[in-house]
Amino acid sequence: MNDDERLIEEVAGAHRPVSRDALRYHPAWHDLDDAGRMRAFELGRALRRLEAAADPEGLSLTARAVLAQIR
Amino acid sequence: MDLDVYLPAIRARDTVAFGRWMSGAELRIRDSLRSFATVVDVEAVLQESLLRVWHVAPRFEPDGRPDALLRFGVRIARNLAVSEVRRTKSRPFADDELEAAVASVAVTQHDEPDPMLRAAIADCREKLPDQPRRALDARLSTDEASGAPRNDIDLAAMLGMRLNTFLQNFTRARRLLAECLGKHGVRIDQELSS
Repeated sequence: MNDDERLIEEVAGAHRPVSRDALRYHPAWHDLDDAGRMRAFELGRALRRLEAAADPEGLSLTARAVLAQIR
Repeated sequence: MDLDVYLPAIRARDTVAFGRWMSGAELRIRDSLRSFATVVDVEAVLQESLLRVWHVAPRFEPDGRPDALLRFGVRIARNLAVSEVRRTKSRPFADDELEAAVASVAVTQHDEPDPMLRAAIADCREKLPDQPRRALDARLSTDEASGAPRNDIDLAAMLGMRLNTFLQNFTRARRLLAECLGKHGVRIDQELSS
């Protein structure tokens, strides 16, 4: 796994730092070039669909992250 | 299905209803941000947009057409993405480029819960080698206290792996899972196997 592949895999995850004031990007996002960012977007999209399909309530980890902030 | 069916319960602060609304709306809002993927962190923008939908929903007045709250969510997400481009000045983005990005609506069908697919995923997960399966399980899990996904550094530490090893195992897991699902005749995103 090279550096770009590692960064893409990290950015494609659903975890983002929580902040009250500003959007918190995944730190690795800044280290990706345009092609890497696009790849991370597409992989993230596919992973969220997989997560939702595997979840008994049909929720992706994006939805879980949002619910964690409002519950 | 018109996702506005959940609107009365969402207004009444029912988080279960909001979860169901998100399960139908998330992919469509995410896709509407595709043209911003090289200039903003779409995952961060999407999560913040969904939070804003939740906070504004009690005051939201639907326009009478289907999926009013979803269309409102798309607008929130795009406006936030445009604000981010301008705030970060990450790249000179001409106004007409922004308008084109905002105008390009990617309307996708949302996935209905599919028990057969869920069973196939569970079956394929069982067949994964130990280390990739542990990495996959960790990535699909959430923090017990908060219910939120955890960062990869913490997940790697929990499994006693270095971050790079954890990510390698996760990559292997998703590829093997996609291959196995293909054998079950399940059409899955090609991204998972690449």
